[in-house]
Amino acid sequence: MIRIFTLFLTFLSAGAIASNLYVGRSSVDITPKLPVAVTGQFHLRIAKEAETPLTANILVIETREGSVSEDLAVMVSCDVLYIPTDVIKLVRDEVAKRVKGLDISKIVLNATHTHTAPVLREGEYAIPKNGVTQVQEYRKFFAEKIADGISAAWNQREEAGVAWGLSYAVVGYNRRVAYSDGTSGMSSKTDLPEFRNLEGPEDHDINTLFFWNKSGQLIAMVIGVASPSQEVEGRAAVHADYWDAVRKEIHGKYGRQVCVLGWLGAAGDLTPHIRYRQAADDRMRELRKLNRLDELARRIVLAVDESYETVKNDRHNTLPLVHKTERLTLPERLVTERDYLAAKASVEMAKSKIEADPKEADKLYRRMTWEGETLRRYERQQKERQPGYDMELHVIRLGDVAICTNEFELFSDFGIRMQARSKALQTFVVQLAGSPEWGSYLPTEKAVKGGAYSAVIHSCRIGPEGGQVLVDRTVELLDELWK
Amino acid sequence: MLYMMNDRLIRLACRLIICVLTIGPTGLLATTRPAEGSLKIGWSSTDITPQKPVLIAGQFHARLSESVMDPLYATVLALESGQGGKTTRTILVGCDLIGIPDGMRDASNLRDRVRELVVGKAPELTGTDITLNGSHTHTAPLSSAEDVNDIYGVPLEMISSGKPVMSPKDYMEFAAQRIAEGVVKAWKNRKPGGISFGLSKAVLGHNRLQVDKTGKSLMYGNTSRPEFSHIEGYEDHNLNLIYTWDQAGKLTGVVVNAAVPSQVTESMYQISADYWNETRALLREELGKELYVLPQVSAAGDQSPHLMWETKAEERMQKLMGIGNEGVGRSSLARRRQLARYVTDGVKAILPYMKANIDWNPVLSQKTETVRLSRRLLGEKDLEDARKEIAEWQPKYEKMLAEARANPEMTKKPRWYTNITIANTRFRRGQSVLERYELEKKSAKLGVELKVIRIGDMAIASNPFELYLDYGIQMKVKSPAVQTFIVQLTGAGTYLPTQRSINGGAYGAVPASTLFGPEAGNELVEKTVSMLKELW
Repeated sequence: MIRIFTLFLTFLSAGAIASNLYVGRSSVDITPKLPVAVTGQFHLRIAKEAETPLTANILVIETREGSVSEDLAVMVSCDVLYIPTDVIKLVRDEVAKRVKGLDISKIVLNATHTHTAPVLREGEYAIPKNGVTQVQEYRKFFAEKIADGISAAWNQREEAGVAWGLSYAVVGYNRRVAYSDGTSGMSSKTDLPEFRNLEGPEDHDINTLFFWNKSGQLIAMVIGVASPSQEVEGRAAVHADYWDAVRKEIHGKYGRQVCVLGWLGAAGDLTPHIRYRQAADDRMRELRKLNRLDELARRIVLAVDESYETVKNDRHNTLPLVHKTERLTLPERLVTERDYLAAKASVEMAKSKIEADPKEADKLYRRMTWEGETLRRYERQQKERQPGYDMELHVIRLGDVAICTNEFELFSDFGIRMQARSKALQTFVVQLAGSPEWGSYLPTEKAVKGGAYSAVIHSCRIGPEGGQVLVDRTVELLDELWK
Repeated sequence: MLYMMNDRLIRLACRLIICVLTIGPTGLLATTRPAEGSLKIGWSSTDITPQKPVLIAGQFHARLSESVMDPLYATVLALESGQGGKTTRTILVGCDLIGIPDGMRDASNLRDRVRELVVGKAPELTGTDITLNGSHTHTAPLSSAEDVNDIYGVPLEMISSGKPVMSPKDYMEFAAQRIAEGVVKAWKNRKPGGISFGLSKAVLGHNRLQVDKTGKSLMYGNTSRPEFSHIEGYEDHNLNLIYTWDQAGKLTGVVVNAAVPSQVTESMYQISADYWNETRALLREELGKELYVLPQVSAAGDQSPHLMWETKAEERMQKLMGIGNEGVGRSSLARRRQLARYVTDGVKAILPYMKANIDWNPVLSQKTETVRLSRRLLGEKDLEDARKEIAEWQPKYEKMLAEARANPEMTKKPRWYTNITIANTRFRRGQSVLERYELEKKSAKLGVELKVIRIGDMAIASNPFELYLDYGIQMKVKSPAVQTFIVQLTGAGTYLPTQRSINGGAYGAVPASTLFGPEAGNELVEKTVSMLKELW
């Protein structure tokens, strides 16, 4: 094939030095051995069936000057709820065993936030000790599989070109419902007289990156969507949620060789569930004879097609790649005495119910450990002058595009602040790139005032103040990449 | 994370929807062909482009049109259905105008004049059968019974330097005559046909209110400021669509209802329908040269087609799409073409399902009421702000006017009147607040016309405002219809802001921009929903 690496419409060439692009990719199956406990709801769910495979999709991006590597990013998108930070260490350690010369600090893992994937953090649920895949077992499997995948992608690096695009699809809806008394509900009712408005915005951008090898074959794409993958979040089964349908459709159209990475934009207050005029939306879907997962995939793939057609000739094979990482200390949200006492009472009540009837653990154990974290946080905060949490932050410049990560379920306002202030032509915000714990929401001030699950103290280690520190520092680091 | 719908409930809901889809409210299969007394449909499109220079509505300053970029149209859809011995007639008119003067803001009343002319020619119709709406283009003529000197503080002859022009009053009569002709034509054209409705998606409108960290809102502004906190409200990226079909199953027209006003190139001195010009052209190119396209604006008082962030990425996409020969960006023709592409894609995306689900005999009913809504009551602080505005701008305006009168040569320069008319508008806005304060003492409520229409399982609910989106959503969630089209600007338009927007204090929520406030907003929602429920 003719090599079509054209360079036109370069928006910003200032700053970083352009070098030759090399890309490797791989996709690994991370479907667990069944049965397995899946995470994302308070009650225990044991999956006996894998309705779709789970995959980790891996992209190695490198620039070289001659034979010398200039910079590197290893991006891994995983079909899981979240990736505990200690699991990231496990993956990096496994990679270090397999690959020499790869800077493991440049490995970034993100979760698609499917609620039908195995538990990755120990102690969250009261999981039966026998007859079910244990958390420790799955963590090891997960780390080894991904390390194998990174190794394969690393070894397959080849000259490549990239193009970036922006289009739209309505996938994520704001799930925080504000009422006339100033309170908010999460995924609560809108057909009430006291309903006033959806608390925050939605982000219907579909940010895309397309990668071709030197033969002109499309080999990978990144699809950034500000909506978690939780359409079938209640099932007691293993399921990659809408990303499975997206990948199938992409593979059907663009070929099985395309590795598809799903990046979740700032979407702490968004879901794929419709909050109003559902009947009209359902009617259209029924007329199309699609289930809801296929409908979401249809919307995303239409947007991908549109972007692809528009940008496919705007490929870049020589461009700047700069990848910076830092440990950013964010001020913790403080647990008040009132929060502490309420959590303590709730935890004690759960404990006594479980003691009285061990079967109650299926319903109560996860809630108890969720509130238990708040107790420990309070006790720790009493001893610390300025309690802070160290987050791993990655900022990447790839040509005219910026990529920035965070560990949270970041409310969309924060993502919009980053995008609005970024000097990049286009900014990909990637949330849930490693998390300290389950349900690490980072809410806005208006959400904290409104209350509800995603803004209460147990769900948020970091509050609005820390969110702003995250925005300001991210923007500052991005600015440096464009100097 | 926690709040999922029960699977069983989802399955039940799906079954119910399938049942409704298949059977429909009349018990007939959706695709049953027309029977006696079934639906009749007529369309027309009438050119309402002024034939002389006119004043263009939509900015604080006067703008005398300097040319016509593209024509303006009034597009008419007439529907008639006789069922159970009762005939319902309803006529929708989408106009490339900023709004439809209806007597709410002053004595100007284009709506009633059109109705009067139509009923004179087609006495079987009643005035309230006809619903006109503006696309909110900011590059169409000002229609007003008021004298230009009272509006802009400068006589029209002075603005035009004596050149022949059409006054706002003359344009209003011209438009009324043309629109009435169009309505009668569509009415006479009606033939048996079918209708389908659907929901598609297109990202056209964006919330234009930006809140800073102190909680203060700005309309537009700059989101790259460190002080920027968040976008004040929501966006609605639904494209509500009605398709009409002739007896042979050929598509005859489409009603496009989107939550975005037509104001991409809103500052021009040229007459233009804005993005509807490109949208109509593209739809006709791809779906048939004779296709009628009727634009409606859903609740969009806080929306605009301008991007609030990621503008550079969007400009690049416009270039790559090959639509930016004359430039790209916020107020470019490229942006208009981009919106046209998105609308057309949205219309085409559901076309096959619409064609397969034509209702030839839908329930057609309607209800019109004049409802008295609470005025936004003004306080001492509002009066103080208004007095300050008058004190600042009245002397500036008077000084500039005196200078212009003393130096007639000044008035020969192009657009010489810009600053003076801005000063006058600012001064008059303050004055209008003081006048309203006095008026409120005598009458705390003001009547507005509301109209609801049922066509099969869908509903149309109209209002005369630039209605903030939250109210539109409140109507939709409470509506008994499967799908509800909100049509704003079926009257003269005044912003109807939410409480949170008033707290933020941006342009669309200040007293001078609003005759009504959240109290009226809530009354409007409740009344609209109760009228809709009566049709079910």
